[in-house]
Amino acid sequence: MSNNRALILVNSVYQLLTAVHLRRTVLSGREADLLVTDILPGWEALLPRLRDTGAFARVLSARAGELNRQYPAAREEAVDEAFRSLLPLFRGTLSDDLGEYSQVYFANFDLFTRMLACWYYTRPCEFIGYEDGFSSYVIDYLREDRAAINRHSDGRKIGDKISVMLLYEPHLAMRGDCLPNRPLPKIPRDDPALRETLNYIFGYRPQDYPPDGAADFLFLEQSFRAEGIRTNDLELMRECREAVGPGRFLVKPHPRNPENLPHRLGLTRKYAGTAPWELLLLNQDPAGRTLITVCSNAALTGRIVFGMDIPTVMLYRLFDGRVLWKEDDTLRRYLLRFRRQFAGKRYYVPETVYQLRSLLHYLGGRHE
Amino acid sequence: MNNTAQTPKVSIIVPVYQVEMYLERAVDSLLAQTLKEKEILLVDDGSEDASPALCDRYAREYPGLVQVIHKENEGLGPARNTGVRAAAGEYIAFVDSDDTVEPTMYEEMYEKAVQDDCDIVMCDVRIRYVEEERETVSVTYPRREIDLPDYIANGNNITYSVNKLFRRSIWAENAYERMLFEDIALIPALMTRYQRVGYVQKPFYTYYRRANTISTSETGAMADIVQAFRYFLGRCNPAYREEAVYCAARQLYWNMTSSRPLFQADFIGLLKEYKKDFLLNPYLGRDKETRKLLAFLDREVIPDNLICVHFSGPVPEAYREEVRRDFPRARLLDADRSAFPADRLPPSVRLALEQGRTAYAEEYAALRLLYEEGGIVLAPDRRASLGLKRLRLNRVFFGFEDAEAITTGCFGALPGHYVIQALLETYEADTVYNQMFLPLGDRIRDFLMIHFGLKPNGRSQLLRQEVQVYLPSVLAYDMKDGDNCCKNASFPVPEGFEAVRDGVLRLWSDRLLENWTLYKKERDKKPAGANAPDKAAPPAPPLPERYRQELDDRVREVTEAYESSTSWRVTRPLRAVGGLWRKWRERRGS
Repeated sequence: MSNNRALILVNSVYQLLTAVHLRRTVLSGREADLLVTDILPGWEALLPRLRDTGAFARVLSARAGELNRQYPAAREEAVDEAFRSLLPLFRGTLSDDLGEYSQVYFANFDLFTRMLACWYYTRPCEFIGYEDGFSSYVIDYLREDRAAINRHSDGRKIGDKISVMLLYEPHLAMRGDCLPNRPLPKIPRDDPALRETLNYIFGYRPQDYPPDGAADFLFLEQSFRAEGIRTNDLELMRECREAVGPGRFLVKPHPRNPENLPHRLGLTRKYAGTAPWELLLLNQDPAGRTLITVCSNAALTGRIVFGMDIPTVMLYRLFDGRVLWKEDDTLRRYLLRFRRQFAGKRYYVPETVYQLRSLLHYLGGRHE
Repeated sequence: MNNTAQTPKVSIIVPVYQVEMYLERAVDSLLAQTLKEKEILLVDDGSEDASPALCDRYAREYPGLVQVIHKENEGLGPARNTGVRAAAGEYIAFVDSDDTVEPTMYEEMYEKAVQDDCDIVMCDVRIRYVEEERETVSVTYPRREIDLPDYIANGNNITYSVNKLFRRSIWAENAYERMLFEDIALIPALMTRYQRVGYVQKPFYTYYRRANTISTSETGAMADIVQAFRYFLGRCNPAYREEAVYCAARQLYWNMTSSRPLFQADFIGLLKEYKKDFLLNPYLGRDKETRKLLAFLDREVIPDNLICVHFSGPVPEAYREEVRRDFPRARLLDADRSAFPADRLPPSVRLALEQGRTAYAEEYAALRLLYEEGGIVLAPDRRASLGLKRLRLNRVFFGFEDAEAITTGCFGALPGHYVIQALLETYEADTVYNQMFLPLGDRIRDFLMIHFGLKPNGRSQLLRQEVQVYLPSVLAYDMKDGDNCCKNASFPVPEGFEAVRDGVLRLWSDRLLENWTLYKKERDKKPAGANAPDKAAPPAPPLPERYRQELDDRVREVTEAYESSTSWRVTRPLRAVGGLWRKWRERRGS
C-alpha cells in the first residue's frame, strides 16, 4: 500500500457528504479508503452503494458505536481496558484490516478514533480533523476536565497526532485549543457529477421530494427524544403550524428519533423521505421555503456548506430543554457570532413566542 | 352701619355662589353681630340658584348695611377681590357663605386690632363635620400673645382667610389669585409680611365641613394647590423664610401622605424646586416626622406632560375637554404630522407614512416625544381620569390591553428613560420587524419579556423595580373597581356600561372567581369550633342565600355571555358579580 494513501473516517451523513467531497477535492489524485462506522444511520445499506461508486479504493466498516458504548469515555477503568485490548478489539470491530496511511481524516474524538490514533501513533501518519457541524467550531474535545479519556496517556495521543482542523468557515472557530483551522472548499451545488454520486449513495429520487406536496415551512426536528432530553419542541412546532397554517407546514423527522412523534400527534403531515437534508439542498431550489429549527446544524448547512441564503428561523431562544447551547458559553457565543457575522439578513432568532408568530405571519405572507 | 355715613369699622365680604340652602344662616349670623359699625358686602359670583334673589332681599331689607354686587362667575378669589374693592371699612373680614360666625366675633377682634394697632387679628375656628354630626375646635395658637416666627412655623389655621381681620390697607397691595386654594397662595405669605398680629383666643368662626366641597373632593383643578404653595414660598417675607418653609413642609407632608396623595407627583415637583430650602431648614432638622418629607426629594416623577400624536386628523374636542378638566396644569404636547419632518424619521417610519400606515408612524412619534420630553402618552381615542396623576410616580409604566397585549393608548416614562430609548432604537435598524411594521405594543411586550422577564398574563407586575405594568383595568378598560386611569373611548356605549374585549372579560371573570375561591379556601381553613373566635374580627357568616342565588345567576349570565360572544361585550353582568363580591367583602370587613 502506498504511504500517500488517506483514510477517511465517517460517523454521520454530514460527514459522509463531506468525505465524498474531500475525496473529489483535497484528496483528488490520491488513493483513499473510507471507513464507515455503525454510528452512521443506515450504514449497512450504504456500504455496497459506496463501493459501487468506485470513489474509494476500499470501503471498510467498523462497529465503533458498540465499542464506544461498551467502553465509556468517562470511565477511567473502561478506557484503560480498551487501550490495553486495542488489537483484539480492532479485530472484533473492523470489517477488514487497516492499511498504512499518510493521513487519517476524522470528525469525532470518540474512543474508536482515539484507538486509531494510538494504533498509528509511532507511524508517519498525520491526523486531520474535519468539520462535523457547529461542535467542530466550539468544542475543545481534548480538554482534560472534559472526560477521563482526555487524562489517559493513550487517550491523549490523538492530540499529538492531529495537525489541523478543516472547516467550511474557519474564521468562525472558537474552540480555544491551539489547532490551526484551515478552509474546506465549499460544496458546489452546480457539480452534476458530485450530485449524481451522492444521489446514488443515498438512493435519492427527486420525485419523492418534497413529500406530499409543497411545504413552505420545513421544521427540522432534532434528536432530543433519542437522547432522552425533555423539551418543548412539540409546543414550538404547534406554534409554528398555527402561525403558517397546517397546509404549508411540514416536520422533517430526525432519523435517530425512535418514531415520528410530531406526525403521530397530528402536528404535521407525514414526511416520507429518508434522504439527508443536504441532498435536498443539492437537488432542489429552496426558493420560497423557510427552514425552522430549534438549533439543528442542518439548518446552517445551506449557509456553511453550500453558501446558500435560505430564510431560517432558529428557535433556540424559545427552547426549554437542557442542552449544550444553553449551558455552554462558547456555543452561545458561537451562535451569536454566526448570527452577527455570517448568517445574513434572512436568519431569524425570535426571542419571544410573539416575535415568532409575527415573523412567521410575515414570512408566510399572512401579515396584517 | 345702620344708615350712618360714618366709615365702617369692619367690612365683611361674603362671596356667594349657589348657596341658597345656607346663605340665610350665614348672613343672619352677620346681622346678629354686636359690632354696629360694619358693612356686609354680598358678592354674588354669578349664581344660578336662588342666591342672587336672597342677596337682593337682604339688601332691600338692610339698606346701608347690606350691599349686593352681582358679577359673572370667576371663583372665590376674584369675588373676594371685588368685595375688597367696594369695601370702605378700616378692617376687612371674609366669611364663606355656608359658614357662620359668633355674635361678638368682629366686635372683639376689632377691639383687639385697635388696642394693639394690629395689621391682622386672628381667632380660633370651630369645625363642624356635617355628615358625622361632630365638631372640634382648631386652636390657632397655644398662647394669647403671638410670637410671629413661632406662629408661622408651628401655629394653626395660618392659611384661613375667614378667621382673620385684615387692615384694609393690606389689600391695596395684595389680592387673591384666580385659582382654587387661593387662601394658601396668599394668607400665609401675608402673615410673614405684616408683623403686627393680634389674637383673640375664641372659636368665633364656625366652618361647616361637608363632603363634596373643594376641601374634600378631588378634581383636576385641585392641582392648583401646588401652585398655591409655590406662591406662598415665592411671596413670603425673606426674614421669615425658614419658618415659612417649615410651615409649608408641614402642610405639604400632610397633603402628600394623608389628604391629597393623588397629587403627590405634583408636590414632589414643588419640593424639588425648593430643594435647598427644605434640606437646609433647621426646623425640619428637629422634626423627625415632617423630616420624612425629605425622602420625597429623591423620588423622580414623570413630568406633567400629556403626549398626543395625531397624524390622521384633529384631536377630538371631547379629549381636549377632559384634559382641561382633569389635567388643567398639564402641558399638552399635541403633535401632528408637521412636527415630524420626514428627514427626521427612520426609514421604516417614512415608508409606513408613504404607505398610509399612520398608526405605525404615530406610535413612533409618540415614543420619541416621550423620550425627549417625558410624560404620559395619551392617544386621541383614550379618555383619562384623574387617577392617571398617581402613575407619574412610576419611572416608566405600561398596561396590559388583555391577557397578553400591551396597550399603546396610554403609557408613560421619565424623560430620556433607557427603556424608551431602547424601544426607539428598534425602529432604526433594518430588521424584519421593521419590514413588517411591527406595532409598538408588540415591541414593548417582547422587549419587556426579553429584558425584564415580563410574564404575559394580564397581571400587574413591577419589573426589576423599574418598569410597572398594570392590569387591563388600569389603562385600557374601566372595570369599575376604582383602579381605572384611562380607557378606550372608541366604542360609544350607554352610561354605566363598558365595552371590553372577550379576552379581558374572561380574564376579569377568572380573577373574580379566583378571589372568590381564595376567600372560600381561607374561610374553610378553620373548621367550626376548632379555634376560639377572634373577638376583633369575627369570622364572616356564610354567604346569605339571596346573595348566593344572585351570584349563581350572575355567573351563569357571564358564562352565557362568553359562549355567545364574538368580539366585544358589554360587561354589566360581570360588574354585577364584582359588585356582589365587593358587597360581601365589605360586609365581612364591617
